[in-house]
Amino acid sequence: MTARRPYKRPMPGWWRKNPYFVEYVVHEATACFVAAYALVFLAGLLCLVQGEEAWAAWLAVLRSPWSIVAHLVMLVAMGYHSYTWFKIMPKTLPPVVVRGQRLSPGAITGGGLFAALAASLLVLGLAWGVLQ
Amino acid sequence: MSEQEKIIEIEVLRYRPEQDEKPVPQVFKVPFTDDMSVLQGIQYIKDWLDGTLSYRWSCRMAICGSCGMMVDGVPKLACKTFLRDYYPNRVRIEALAHFPIERDLVIVADDFIEKLQRIKPWIIPKEARTLEQGEYIQTPAELDVYEQFSSCINCMLCYAACPQYGLNDKFLGPGIIALLHRYNADSRDGAEAERMQEIHGHEGVFNCTAVGYCSEVCPKGVDPANAVNVNKTKVAQDYFLRFIRPKAKGDCE
Amino acid sequence: MQTYQADVVIVGAGGAGLRAAIAVAEFDPRLRVALVSKVYPMRSHTVAAEGGSAAVVQAHDSLEHHFHDTVAGGDWLCEQDVVDYFVAHCAEEMVQMEHWGCPWSRKDDGHINVRAFGGMKIERTWFAADKTGFHMLHTLFQTSMKYPSIKRFDEYFCADLLVDEGRCGGVVAIQIAGGELVQIQAPSVVLATGGAGRVFRQNTNGGIVTGDGMALAYRHGVPLRDMEFMQYHPTCMPGTGLLFTEGCRGEGGILTNRDGYRYLQDYGLGPADPWPRKKAMELGPRDRLSQAFWHEERKGRTIDGPHGSVVNLDLRHLGEKKLRERLPQICELAEEFLGIDPAETPIPVRPAVHYTMGGILVDGNCAAPLRGLFAAGECSSVGIHGANRLGSNSLAELCVFGKVAGESAARFAQDSAPLRRNHLAEQASDIESRVRAVVDNEGSERIATLRTEMAQTMEQGCGIYRLGDEMQATCDKLAELRERFRRVKLDDRSRVWNSEWLLAIELGYQLEVAQAIAHSALARRESRGAHQRLDGFEARDDVNFLAHSLAVYAGREAPRIEYGPVKITHLPPGVRAYGAEGERVEQERSAAGV
Repeated sequence: MTARRPYKRPMPGWWRKNPYFVEYVVHEATACFVAAYALVFLAGLLCLVQGEEAWAAWLAVLRSPWSIVAHLVMLVAMGYHSYTWFKIMPKTLPPVVVRGQRLSPGAITGGGLFAALAASLLVLGLAWGVLQ
Repeated sequence: MSEQEKIIEIEVLRYRPEQDEKPVPQVFKVPFTDDMSVLQGIQYIKDWLDGTLSYRWSCRMAICGSCGMMVDGVPKLACKTFLRDYYPNRVRIEALAHFPIERDLVIVADDFIEKLQRIKPWIIPKEARTLEQGEYIQTPAELDVYEQFSSCINCMLCYAACPQYGLNDKFLGPGIIALLHRYNADSRDGAEAERMQEIHGHEGVFNCTAVGYCSEVCPKGVDPANAVNVNKTKVAQDYFLRFIRPKAKGDCE
Repeated sequence: MQTYQADVVIVGAGGAGLRAAIAVAEFDPRLRVALVSKVYPMRSHTVAAEGGSAAVVQAHDSLEHHFHDTVAGGDWLCEQDVVDYFVAHCAEEMVQMEHWGCPWSRKDDGHINVRAFGGMKIERTWFAADKTGFHMLHTLFQTSMKYPSIKRFDEYFCADLLVDEGRCGGVVAIQIAGGELVQIQAPSVVLATGGAGRVFRQNTNGGIVTGDGMALAYRHGVPLRDMEFMQYHPTCMPGTGLLFTEGCRGEGGILTNRDGYRYLQDYGLGPADPWPRKKAMELGPRDRLSQAFWHEERKGRTIDGPHGSVVNLDLRHLGEKKLRERLPQICELAEEFLGIDPAETPIPVRPAVHYTMGGILVDGNCAAPLRGLFAAGECSSVGIHGANRLGSNSLAELCVFGKVAGESAARFAQDSAPLRRNHLAEQASDIESRVRAVVDNEGSERIATLRTEMAQTMEQGCGIYRLGDEMQATCDKLAELRERFRRVKLDDRSRVWNSEWLLAIELGYQLEVAQAIAHSALARRESRGAHQRLDGFEARDDVNFLAHSLAVYAGREAPRIEYGPVKITHLPPGVRAYGAEGERVEQERSAAGV
């Protein structure tokens, strides 16, 4: 009879025990806000299809203080999601070689963030142009 | 000598299966100098305070991969973690997370070894070559593709950093997938298709949710998260390509 | 007790043990191999070898050059027929490693690259950055997994050999996890357990390098040969003894004293320029460089540090890029352990014990005088290192003689008469009682105290330079320690992963191997290679001591020291010189047509 009795440790609240895991869980959680905004957007599209009255009602909802707060929260969450998403990006790509040199993780993350920012500004600019 | 001797408290999670129902912490007061590693602190305990403390160690220079343990909750090689970085606080030491504890700081490593065997970690040559024909030609660029993944010292810190492995130990895990990738990416090897069988499906790459902590804790810059995630793309490609690609000969189940 | 049957049992799963296991499996896949190791194979100390492995590949190099460097480097205490075999088989073994996946560093055209090493006339050191041993070990371990006939016993600690009617018949081992003993019966046993450097204080060796196999063979009457020759590696980290590879100097690194002066030129290794230059200055052999350090220290020209005096290993001129590419691990060690960037600051270094040149007496087929017993690698003395090993010959040795040992053992297993299994089983149960008794021993001596005193006395008496009375004091001290060891007391009386139990058994091994070292040293009244005396025996004495020492076990008494002949085939003993003097000697030699 062996005296061996390996002990398997339980993992309750594992994600709270390490800042890295907290960041990971928050990152995953912010995905819900991304999804939530997609639903808001989808609702807008449905209203647009239903006609002018529905569209106006949707716009009115958007203008409510609750909606503005919700949008601000979603914006912050999405910002965090994008930031952490690009932070992990270097770990998901095969080596990117530019002129014989491997691109550093920092450059990949930086590039990704820059592209996201540029795309956002472009959309904002277009929207601004349409409004004018 | 030139340095003043200081005393640090080391709290070790003890587990002696013949006497402890479950792990219990025990605190030791250890004199140390600034160049002393956590491993040297533990050795001091074993030599002079309590000979019953068990742990693995050997090379002392971060290459044999024996002395992985949790230091203040972070997976580390004890030989290259220094007590000075924790002083004057108490430093907490525990066996590597996510593995069963055999005793004290010693974990049961059988799972890792079995998985290593499963991925066929040897060259299955693309084209056979006799010794008389000399070495395979491999350019520095071809070497560079896999060299980083061949630097894995099997210390298993990445497993202790992977909550997915902790929750489901069927998952092949970061280190083993890095080694699988090491062979697949080697220009001399021709068995990628064979090995990919292992990382399809539930025990394979899609268990990974890109936490990325495995690469953070890797003491050798292997970046196992990269190996796992690059292979997600490959597995997905394989999955979709099989609908449009005529079935190759011998490519059967 | 659980019993396993095998055809070949191999103890130790480092480079030599794994290579031997693969050799058996390829020789005859029907032979059952039991590979016993006290650590998981990839933890074995081969992992820490850095610089590289020797094999002649360049067109302007030759086997004769490699032979000459090795024999002269060993101060003519080599078995020349074995060296011949060795140099002729290095290249095929290195190519074999390449075929198995070893990530050798390459030239731009994709062929193997080689670097310069100490005491080697021409670049012939194959390398995988500065982690050559690591890559070779993992390549061998992972490759070994493809052979179903190899059954591994990972974390099984070998406690004794089974010997019946003058013939080795297997081993008894402790399964570390559960503390149970098992016997593995087999007609062939290969020992590949590595060196014994941990008997010294400052050393480059891992904690597991405790001379286990040497002690086991020795206790069963196999002589330990040339044990007085312990290699001090000249460039190690003060305090811990961690290794900075000779590859540092192979790549062009220099050694300077407190005045920034390349002091090696004062010790028959100069002139300093032009640099780099083979077989001169920093590319001299290890014994000479360590001895030069000792003299510099006496002259007060070294630098004081918290762990003793140091000199500087200066790599700054190699530049950041080359350092990162060729010596990444050296950079990592310097940065993480010393807080130094070698591209900016020289690394403080001093000599530390590195390698056991001597070992279990075996012939060119790796067979020991005990029938059925074979040995390979650092634990063995097959005869290629003589009085001083050249850097990069030991990794090559693991492959060349690991294979030889495996094949010899396989052949022996095929041809041997059946074992008397019952007799072996009885013996195994006696061994079990004896080994278990260690745990319950009543006494007052602490393992760490004995170990510390042993390491101190070894350093005192058997250091870089040696004196008769100091060696005698060490011999006396070791006798005392062996006596006190009988009263060793353990804190730990449990079974599961009782590492204190193993430490006690290891200390028993170490004390006996240390005695073999000290007594062999005391008896050799000359200076040769790594054995240098300052008490009237400063010169090499080929008349009386061109002979291998053989330490023979004598129970509780000190070992008996005997001598055996040295095989000289075609290179008669000559002047061993390096630097300008070495070039002169070589010219004379070729002029004389020798």
